[in-house]
Amino acid sequence: MDAPKPQAVTLTIDEREVTVPKGTTILRAAESIGIEIPRYCYHPGLSSPAQCRICLVEVVGAPKLAASCVTEAMEGQQVRTQSEPALEMRRGVLEFYLANHPLDCPICDQSGECKLQDYVHAEGREHGRSREPKRVFGRDDFGGDVLFYGDRCVMCTRCVRFMNEMAQDPRLAVVERGNRSIIDTFFDEGVEGSPYSGNIVDICPVGALVSKDFLHKARAWDLEHTPSVCPNCSQGCNIEIHTRDNLVQRLKPRDNPEVNQYWMCDYGRARYEWLNRGDRIEAPLIRTGERDARAAASWEEAIRAAAAELGGAEGPVRAVASAFVSNEALVALATLVEALGGGEIVFRSPRTVGEIPLPGFEKLARREDLAPNREGAEALGMKRVGTNDATGGLESLAAHAGKLVVLGDELEDAGPEFGAEAAAYLYLGSYPTEGAGRAKVVLPITTFAEEEGSFTNHARIVQRYEPALQAPGMARPAATVLEALRAALGTPAGALAGRRGS
Amino acid sequence: MTISVKVMRRPEPGETSYLRATLRGMALTFKHLVNPKKVTVEYPEERPDLSPRWRGTHVMETHADGRPKCVACGLCPTVCPANCIRLVGGEDDMGNRYPLVYEIDEFRCIFCGMCQEVCPVEAIHVGVHFENAEYTRDRFVYDLDRLMAQEHPSTLLWDPSDGASE
Ligand code: SF4
Ligand code: SF4
Ligand code: SF4
Ligand code: SF4
Ligand code: FES
Repeated sequence: MDAPKPQAVTLTIDEREVTVPKGTTILRAAESIGIEIPRYCYHPGLSSPAQCRICLVEVVGAPKLAASCVTEAMEGQQVRTQSEPALEMRRGVLEFYLANHPLDCPICDQSGECKLQDYVHAEGREHGRSREPKRVFGRDDFGGDVLFYGDRCVMCTRCVRFMNEMAQDPRLAVVERGNRSIIDTFFDEGVEGSPYSGNIVDICPVGALVSKDFLHKARAWDLEHTPSVCPNCSQGCNIEIHTRDNLVQRLKPRDNPEVNQYWMCDYGRARYEWLNRGDRIEAPLIRTGERDARAAASWEEAIRAAAAELGGAEGPVRAVASAFVSNEALVALATLVEALGGGEIVFRSPRTVGEIPLPGFEKLARREDLAPNREGAEALGMKRVGTNDATGGLESLAAHAGKLVVLGDELEDAGPEFGAEAAAYLYLGSYPTEGAGRAKVVLPITTFAEEEGSFTNHARIVQRYEPALQAPGMARPAATVLEALRAALGTPAGALAGRRGS
Repeated sequence: MTISVKVMRRPEPGETSYLRATLRGMALTFKHLVNPKKVTVEYPEERPDLSPRWRGTHVMETHADGRPKCVACGLCPTVCPANCIRLVGGEDDMGNRYPLVYEIDEFRCIFCGMCQEVCPVEAIHVGVHFENAEYTRDRFVYDLDRLMAQEHPSTLLWDPSDGASE
């Protein structure tokens, strides 16, 4: 079916002309020229019930104010978002919202990123006029990671609609009527076990739904936001890493219509603590004698030692990569292996059985691959070995007699004798491990949250992430380290140039 | 480029004598000796009167049951220009938000009083107090217990709209 060509309409919003496709709402048209009309019930990923009435604007000639989230932009329309009738109406609406609101911003986790705070600050009344006692609901555990503070709710029903339309698992509803109405769950377990329920915390415009994990942990204005990619499965949801004091405090989804729209799964959201691990390799280490006798070295010495080790040894090269490192590091490893004469590169990555899709947006699912970059590794000809919990598969390498390079794999099950037979064994990793005990040189590398790079997701979309944390000690991005090592070996760059991005 | 030379006039011998200046100084000293409006205080036997708006080391107000009034809102560490307040929020066993860690580095504090001004629950105050001697530097990082145990009075901040705070 041919989609009919969208017709354009031109209208004026706050004295500024804007042309949008027919069918666009006034709210979206205003957004396209940078005018934010207040909204609670409207969310771009959900249906619009037009019930919160905070988005009312004046349309010249219309008998009443229009709810801009559902009113289509018309040719020649004149819209005023800041005129006295519009402001007066929104002021009135805000006053209703505050009639029962506990005004507990000091103890509310949403404070600083709360739409009620923002709009009242911008357009609301300075002092309340209500003299009646406020109704009190208190706090309710909604199960999972979600806490509900009923008194702060503005009844926008975004959470209800998310559960109905996106999760398609209707577990929330509005009960009671009038000013007694409240969001409630049907059974005691609430949203417990619903794999995408964390998103209702994100879309709640106020602090009514908050995360138990994040509760009281940091103030919104203290957090630094870094665009990144979720490392917990091959879906590669676009996320923001929120950090404070060089520690990850929470992960939030970032919208990308191709990958995850506005959402992310609870599995991915909860798994960030490993980025805050303190047991790290912080300096390059060179083995001085047998076994664990190691001395910290400068990067220059370490690269020289590693180059001498690899360059001087006999035998074919084999390498272990990881599905948790960037494409850049994988390419650098493949280039190095090629420069050393070429050899097999294997990797291990965790896998589970069964995808967990988000019914309302089918492109998004928690994938079976629980590592972000399996596609990237396989695109470079690396082979996945081992079991679904990322163990085993390295037996033939453990006793390999030639050159051995390990990048990123923690070698948890490999044991202290791993690589004992190797003529040259180089380990690049972030965490201290027994498996590196026989390595002549150990080089500290950054995790994905400490470097810039890219992952290739399950649909072969290459996505870039940015550094959110400061790397500990002397750790450097693996791509940089491998490139320096290859240069020290005196081999030409770009042997793989033709295969890059393949 | 020319260099301009300024010729200084040397003072005459009579002008260089410091005798007159000394005598003038002595006269001033003598005047204060007999002046009834004495300002010297015989500290520590005698205590100086501090203004109720004096800003000294902090006091944390407590509830009747001994809990700190602070709700860990994070405004004072945010407003503090010296960045000397460290706060980690948490939840107590009654479900209230409260400070797990609350520390003020009194050495870095500039006693501006903004923490007191910003606090929504009137928990943290600068105090009417000036005797801060300690044996070690780390004793100047006051933790929550110490701040709650302070005995000196809190400062009255001047509020132009409130006559009583004058
Ligand atoms: S809990 Fe939040 S998202 Fe749900 S209706 Fe209330 S304000 Fe809206
Ligand atoms: S679906 Fe995958 S990539 Fe997206 S948030 Fe969940 S674990 Fe992360
Ligand atoms: S008095 Fe000023 S400098 Fe001292 S802690 Fe308070 S806000 Fe910071
Ligand atoms: S401003 Fe007051 S309530 Fe907020 S953290 Fe500071 S002392 Fe606690
Ligand atoms: S955003 Fe338009 S009525 Fe709620």
